Amino acid sequence: MIVESKLAPIRKGLLEFLVLKIVGTRSVYVPDILRRLAGTEFATQEGTLYPLLSKLRREDLVRYDWQESDAGPPRKYYRLTDAGRAQLAALDDYWNRINRTIADMGH
Amino acid sequence: MKRISATVRLNRSTLQFDDAAYARLENYLAESASLLEGDPDPQEILGDLEQAVADQCMRRLRPDQTVVTLAELVPALEEIGSVQTPTSPAGPEQTTRAAPRPLQQVSEGAVISGVCQGLARYFGLNVTALRIFAVLLLLVTGGGVILVYFALMLLFPYAPLESGGQPLRWLPAKSRAFTEFLRAKLSFATN
Repeated sequence: MIVESKLAPIRKGLLEFLVLKIVGTRSVYVPDILRRLAGTEFATQEGTLYPLLSKLRREDLVRYDWQESDAGPPRKYYRLTDAGRAQLAALDDYWNRINRTIADMGH
Repeated sequence: MKRISATVRLNRSTLQFDDAAYARLENYLAESASLLEGDPDPQEILGDLEQAVADQCMRRLRPDQTVVTLAELVPALEEIGSVQTPTSPAGPEQTTRAAPRPLQQVSEGAVISGVCQGLARYFGLNVTALRIFAVLLLLVTGGGVILVYFALMLLFPYAPLESGGQPLRWLPAKSRAFTEFLRAKLSFATN
């Protein structure tokens, strides 16, 4: 759809914000994140998520712990660092400002 | 003798792959590694992807099945998707190190058919210098270069027309139509 493709770059840019949001709720592993995003406008794949999480880890916004699983090898569980929490709050704030600007522009 | 399966260690899991699936897997991982070129930590991401492939394949194996085939691997890779680096959606990074352009002819701004423009673009030459050189060649070879030009005209695909690009002049438009006509005839003859 035309509307969707117009906002495609914004959607891509927002993925990082949403991943921080999801990781911020509780410690999660990648299938949890995928499931949370599936069926939304932000549905994504492991091929996209792992490079993103690796970047966020390098930027010290998330970190992971290994947790044993009852099926298969241990899993990486991601959670926010303090810097990640601060970044998320700032992004939330900025996003709300943008939304207000957009909402006010029509009046 | 024929090798029928390979034991593959994918990060923390070990799985058996049949030959076709193994080839496909190698291909996917090599492609991922090349897409991650420039990433400061490709090993971590490749390790994660390997684990994802292992998990996805294991989930798809029937209880009595020990060897992964394409029937499991293909949908698994589809679900994982190819590597998208977080910097790529921004664009500029990709355009600066754009893939080398193929040899093409460029109709917009062409004198005859755009072969010189295509060659200049491919080899990074000045198009005017190349055209002068071509005219000199024409004199030196006594017209033989015309055949070469004609052959390249038939061989080189056309670069896609840029929307908003300059309109085609009469001769480039005609030679393009002519080439397309000849190509259609030739493919008709070979079929």
